Amino acid sequence: MAAKRALTPKEANLFKDLLTLYETRQLKKGLKTADQILKKFPEHGETLCMKGLILTHMGQRDEGIDLVKKGMRLDLTSHIVWHVFGLIQKGEKNYEEALKSYTQALRFDKDNINILRDAAQLQTQLRLYDSLVETRYTLLKLRPTLRQHWVALAVAYYLNGNLDQAKNVMEKYESILKNIPDYDVEHSETLLFHVRVLEALEEHSQALSLLDTNAKERAIVDKTAIMEYRARLLSASSSTTGEAQEGEGEASAAWHTLIDHNSENIDYYYGYLASLGLHPTLSPSYDSTKALETLQTLSTALPRASFPRRLALTLAPSPSSEDTNGTFHTLAKPYILTALQKGIPSLFVDLKSLYTDQGKMEAIQGIVEDVLRSFDSEDTSNAEIDRDPSMYIWTLYFLAQHYSYLASHPTLPQPSSPPYIPSSSSSSTPPNPSPYPTQSHSLHLISLAISHTPTLPDLHLLQSKILKRAGDPYGAATAVNRARELDGQDRFLNGKTGNALMRAGLVKEASGAPGEVGSGSGGGGGQQGKGGVLGVFTKKDAASPASDLEDMQSLSYLLEEADAQRRTAPSNLGLALKRYLAVQKIFTEIQDDQYDFHGYCLRKFTINVYLNLLTWEDSLLLHPAYLKSAISASQIFVYLHDGTLFPSFGILGGAGKDRGGSGSKGGKGGKGGKGGAGEMTDAEKKAKKKAKKAAAAQKEKAKEREKEEGKKAPQAANEDKGLEPPAPKDDDPDGTKLLVCEDPLERAAKLLAPVVKLLLSKKDKTSKGKNASQKRMKGYGEIEFWVTVYDVAVRRKKFLQAIQALTQAHTLDPEHPEVHLRLIHASKTVSSFSSSSPPSETITSTFSSQLSNLLPSTISPETHNSQYLQKHSKNARAILASAKALEMLGSSTKEEVETVVFGMLGSGAGAEGVHVDVETALEGLGYLYSLASDEKAEEFRVKCDERFVSSTVFKSEQEQGKLRDAVREEVTRLPGEEKEKGDGEVSG
Amino acid sequence: MNIRVARVDDLQGMQGCNLQNLPENYTMKYYLYHLMTWPSLSYVAQDDDGKIVGYILAKMEEDTEEGEDPHGHVTSISVLRSHRRLGLAKKLMVQSQEAMATIYRASYVSLHVRKSNRAALGLYRDTLGFTVKDIEKKYYADGEDAYAMHLSLKDK
Repeated sequence: MAAKRALTPKEANLFKDLLTLYETRQLKKGLKTADQILKKFPEHGETLCMKGLILTHMGQRDEGIDLVKKGMRLDLTSHIVWHVFGLIQKGEKNYEEALKSYTQALRFDKDNINILRDAAQLQTQLRLYDSLVETRYTLLKLRPTLRQHWVALAVAYYLNGNLDQAKNVMEKYESILKNIPDYDVEHSETLLFHVRVLEALEEHSQALSLLDTNAKERAIVDKTAIMEYRARLLSASSSTTGEAQEGEGEASAAWHTLIDHNSENIDYYYGYLASLGLHPTLSPSYDSTKALETLQTLSTALPRASFPRRLALTLAPSPSSEDTNGTFHTLAKPYILTALQKGIPSLFVDLKSLYTDQGKMEAIQGIVEDVLRSFDSEDTSNAEIDRDPSMYIWTLYFLAQHYSYLASHPTLPQPSSPPYIPSSSSSSTPPNPSPYPTQSHSLHLISLAISHTPTLPDLHLLQSKILKRAGDPYGAATAVNRARELDGQDRFLNGKTGNALMRAGLVKEASGAPGEVGSGSGGGGGQQGKGGVLGVFTKKDAASPASDLEDMQSLSYLLEEADAQRRTAPSNLGLALKRYLAVQKIFTEIQDDQYDFHGYCLRKFTINVYLNLLTWEDSLLLHPAYLKSAISASQIFVYLHDGTLFPSFGILGGAGKDRGGSGSKGGKGGKGGKGGAGEMTDAEKKAKKKAKKAAAAQKEKAKEREKEEGKKAPQAANEDKGLEPPAPKDDDPDGTKLLVCEDPLERAAKLLAPVVKLLLSKKDKTSKGKNASQKRMKGYGEIEFWVTVYDVAVRRKKFLQAIQALTQAHTLDPEHPEVHLRLIHASKTVSSFSSSSPPSETITSTFSSQLSNLLPSTISPETHNSQYLQKHSKNARAILASAKALEMLGSSTKEEVETVVFGMLGSGAGAEGVHVDVETALEGLGYLYSLASDEKAEEFRVKCDERFVSSTVFKSEQEQGKLRDAVREEVTRLPGEEKEKGDGEVSG
Repeated sequence: MNIRVARVDDLQGMQGCNLQNLPENYTMKYYLYHLMTWPSLSYVAQDDDGKIVGYILAKMEEDTEEGEDPHGHVTSISVLRSHRRLGLAKKLMVQSQEAMATIYRASYVSLHVRKSNRAALGLYRDTLGFTVKDIEKKYYADGEDAYAMHLSLKDK
């Protein structure tokens, strides 16, 4: 073997040059040198590989990789060829295979530092911490003089859970260190890591002395970190050792220092209270009076700090009604009045978490209504209130939010007194008096504010939000557009306008992306028109506002557009899928992003934040945006698989006839336990056909493009293009190919699988991940996730997975409407086992027995469903689920199903007081359409239109079309021109 | 409202906040680069629901001349419109500056602002005490000039 590799001395030197030239990325020279060697030794494997590697860097990827492979075949025992191959695979982000190649390379050169280092990074990326420890150990043995190698080994032990070894390595390292300059940030970070290891080992006093010594010697320079560690460690040691006052005193002092340092950090206040035994939930002898006194002292000492005043409102005991001299009232009044005087827009958002307490909510309402009354009555006796006209505006603004929030959160305690409606000379007619807050109250108040000061964008913005809640997406779009016109320089208002337009079905006007209501973009090709409102703030050289927002990883834009596409028309589902999958792609990018930091952070010694990076990446996919996109895309894939409308979340949003699973004439579906609701409509079939054609045409085009590009490629080849393959051309910009993909269920399963794994492993550890605190998007939480896993698995005939998912969902909420529907579905699935080709005996029996834990097999699913309906007769969503279940069971007439649906509106027997919101009613309407109950649906629509007074989504298709046109006209008027710029304050 | 050092799991919220407010946007890798290099300089303001409503993304200037004092640089700072008038920008800035001064011994902090962005200019100059040091021609991708602004940290 060595014979084949041997070169004459001249060429051997050239080869050395070649390696250096590559290292320094002198690609052209390197290429020449390689060719020189190959002239004499055309079969020299290592040179061929190096040449291939260089060509790949220069953008001639295919040719380069061919050469690499050829070179490898000629010299399979060279570490260089395996190293080169590993580099290529790493460039393709194929980390597993790359590591295999590195392992091969190390077989032939086990002490190669470069290869070992690369291998360590791959092992970290793949979380193979056992092997990482070995690699780091080898590296340290080879080069013990390198500081980095010591720390890297300690980090590897830490990651592998071997804290004792991590500590040993750090101690040894510090003992042999010499000549560290003062104020060395790298050394400071290293010492903080050592403290962190000790903290994790719960060796608090050791950690403290290490921290204090090094803080005093100025070896640790991060003051905030020092103070935070100190406070935490002192608290922990006093609680574990049970040391008396002394320790406690010191811990409190440490927390107090932190508060002085940053008086708006919530954790510091809770830490301080806990150290005094005054933490509201953690301290066994909690005394709210003492806690409030403590906060009072802090407030006096820190007059500019706002958090202690706010925290006092949380900690104050719940006031009894009418108790206007109680603690809460006394604290809340000045807090609220100051904010209203200053015109702080976030006051309501700041206070709304108190609304779970009825007494506090009513006290707040009383205080603010009193302010409004004093303006109304021209009553000057209330000297506390400086009657500034701007305060009047912000008072109305607050109350409008207050009523709207209560009206849209019926499960919160509601006020016992009816809302106060100011008398007014304004054009807006006051709503009918109602004992409960409604969106109409709220709309009335905000229109009073607007007629007083029409130039304040925030008022129009709020009006838009209330209209959205009230079910009027067109009015909402017009209102927010007025705000935008008042301050054209504010991207915040611009973005809100874009969102509102998309919700009104005007995607093109929002972002220039195709996909209008009923337009059917299938086969339209990739032309994304420029412009759209959002284009004012996106890069001018981007292909479209949408593509800039995607490049900039705007999750909220992508989700908003995807939802809009999904609502508009069945033929836009491809575009919706594209956007959901774009969200997925961003998360993959972020997972890849961490790679470079495995080396970087160890070189920079920023170990602590690096360890946090790894933890974060580990559970990255539990992010609400990933969850939502995975659920939504899977629902569409399921729909594509079925070719029917699964009676599920109302997959097409169910808004009106043109949006729902529209007007299907197919009657009942229900093929083979799938429980489909309606066959595909003619329109949908057409769209699908059209999509197929378009996809075929695009394939042709793509082929031609490839040919063209193949010709062009070799010329432009000077600079380093790296080893990452260029992003493949998107040959399906509208998702038309996705709509006709052969394996929709497999694709869905692939999206869901990583989250399944994460959630199950979280459950095993029963640890609360940091992501647990993240707010889930409404309707896309864990329950909906498991339900979707069930839907996909049961269709893939992965019955064990399906029942596992259903069990998970059931554990979270056995009464959840979607869970109920799946229970019925599962019991139907059991009964279909015997008839159709059955899966194995063990699987069916496991499925049945696990199902009987959730749904007793002694009760028939029919009985269970009617019991469920009775039990939840006030819950519109449950009523709808029960109607869908009834249909799925197949033993009721269509009329019976329809009657149940109408129960959502309270017309059924004993359904008085059913609470139904716009969104749920829309789903009900969409469902009626999917049943081909056009007449009944129409009746339902009209009823909803009457019931939701401020809504427009229940208007006829024609009327909505007009409203949409009006909005379109409004936003496209004076294209590109802005009215005067508002005062546009950035911040205060 | 909570003001604290930015953590890795805040970065997506910061990115979202930046996209909502400003025309200069960055991919996650750039946010990561900031935090992985200067983990103590960036701060966030977070509301009750855990949402990031304001942030400062900051770094130390890397290409300093021989003998020049180290100085900090604000890559991006913004507060959502819905959370203005609370003084958040100032509070974020103060925390970041103090970290620049104590950890890296920065003598001043710099930032860039679009010439046309009068609102932001007002904030930096009047509220935060920056002064215009220079005009950088065609600093932005679209050809607009930038004011280079400075704030000394010496007298702190």
